[in-house]
Amino acid sequence: MQASSAKIERTRRWRRNASSAFTAIRFLAPAIVVMGVVILFPIINAARLSFFNYELTKPKEIAFNLFKNYAYMVQDKLFWHALKNTVVFTSLTVASGLILGLILALVVYELPRRLHGLRGVLLVPWVIPGIVIGYLFMYMFDVEIGVVNYVFRQIGFIKEFLPWLMRDNLAMIAIIITHVWNQTPFYMLMITAGLMAIPDEAREASFLEGSNRWQEFRFITFPYLQQIVVISSLLMVIRNFNFFPIIFTMTGGGPAYATTTAVLYIYRLAFERFDIGYASAVGTVWVIILIFVSAFYIRTLKERF
Amino acid sequence: MRTRRNSIPATVIIVAILVVFLVWTLFPIYWMFVTSIKKTVHVFDLPPEIFPSAPTVEHYLELDQGSIKVSIFFMNSVINSIGTVLLAIVLAVLAAYALSRVKFRFRKAVSVGILTTQMFPLVVLLIPLYLLYKNLHLLNTYQGLILAFTSFTLPFSIWMLKGFIDSVPIEVEESAFIDGCSRLQILSKIVLPLIIPGVVATGVFAFLDAWNNLLFPLMLVSKPSMKTLPPGMILAFAGEFKHDWGGMMATSVIVSLPVVVAFVLVQRFLVEGLTRGAVKG
Repeated sequence: MQASSAKIERTRRWRRNASSAFTAIRFLAPAIVVMGVVILFPIINAARLSFFNYELTKPKEIAFNLFKNYAYMVQDKLFWHALKNTVVFTSLTVASGLILGLILALVVYELPRRLHGLRGVLLVPWVIPGIVIGYLFMYMFDVEIGVVNYVFRQIGFIKEFLPWLMRDNLAMIAIIITHVWNQTPFYMLMITAGLMAIPDEAREASFLEGSNRWQEFRFITFPYLQQIVVISSLLMVIRNFNFFPIIFTMTGGGPAYATTTAVLYIYRLAFERFDIGYASAVGTVWVIILIFVSAFYIRTLKERF
Repeated sequence: MRTRRNSIPATVIIVAILVVFLVWTLFPIYWMFVTSIKKTVHVFDLPPEIFPSAPTVEHYLELDQGSIKVSIFFMNSVINSIGTVLLAIVLAVLAAYALSRVKFRFRKAVSVGILTTQMFPLVVLLIPLYLLYKNLHLLNTYQGLILAFTSFTLPFSIWMLKGFIDSVPIEVEESAFIDGCSRLQILSKIVLPLIIPGVVATGVFAFLDAWNNLLFPLMLVSKPSMKTLPPGMILAFAGEFKHDWGGMMATSVIVSLPVVVAFVLVQRFLVEGLTRGAVKG
């Protein structure tokens, strides 16, 4: 009798597990199929193409060449240049956006409640489409009629109009300013969420103990914000590694290769040089780099939860 | 609660910083709008007019008069974005529920895998995807674009909705389960109504993603009549129209308006969604 009841219990448990595995598959399958077809399958295919000699302009020479693309990459100066550009662009953009977003979040948090609606206004740059931002700032940075040149000259910042998008370092600076304008609201949003999570008691206690404003920030606010700062910066590092539309519209990666980041380099290899094999090789390396950064990001996320 | 009061100098500093930020944030948007209503001759004025002396809507009227019609791009963007929102919500709600509530092996691996796909650069998969779409006859179709947009918006949507479903007390479901409801019934009749803010926020994000996406339609659509707004803009303002700033800014206003309006309408949900979904995991 006992044995059979144990058996029934076991079957029941098995059924429950089986049915939940079945439910999981049924519920997850549609999403996974879509992502598999559009993302996973092409990524694997790109990795395969990276071992081929594959130039659209020379259809007869398509052939397997093992590591030739990768060997070329190691000594391709433009590839290393694009990597350097990506690192410069990303680190400056993330650092500036983070600092401005932090200041903005702290300032708005100090405002009386009825003014918190300002947050909505301050968030708008974040939702404006990249292509629009690209064109808008291209117009504002224009050498002849751009408002940036005009204002800078009026306030004595520059003596004569600068060709922002046509000179190496200036183009990079213009691109970074544009992205910072676009992204600062994101940091503000994340840091505001972090500020709201700080218990009132903590602030109150520090006040009662006579801390000044800086001490309160240094010993109460900042420790609470640390994690959210790390998480949002990591997320934005990954995003900036992949950012495309703004640079594409403003400079197209130019002048020459001055603002060509890794993704722009891949695009230009594929659609200006039509060298699909090599573009895929650079793309594959880039995906591997991103997987490493993402793994780091996910581990940080997990530590928290 | 007793807290610090702002002294007068502190208040002055706060207000000053705020004003600087407001100008920095709003000036480019103002500039876009104001250029779009300036007569073409005044667009090239130096010093530039801060307030237009003779506002005009000519640039808006011209958008539909040339051989390239912005209204067609607009319609295509609307169709593709709404399609993406609907498909993404259905798929993401199902997947998020499974990841949040159903215990199964590899659950962790699946969640991490979904999160990782979010990080993949879109550029890398353009060529293989183009070849695949060519074989499946999905080039120049709404279905093809909606599928592509959906796949890239899914990871974030799933994670955000999972955050919302996690916060629904499981007891609510248990009683329904005992009453003999199936999982799908529980999800649609009990869980879904409780996570409407999350669904709205996710929908808006999916909409923004699809509306703003440049690379997919640039590659997967070659027919001008099927293009969405971002590649449409590139088509419209290339070559001789490169310095048609008035027309360009008018188009920019048209492209931005729907997303800004959608955003303002659901801003409250959005902030809640982000803080719950992204911040709390």
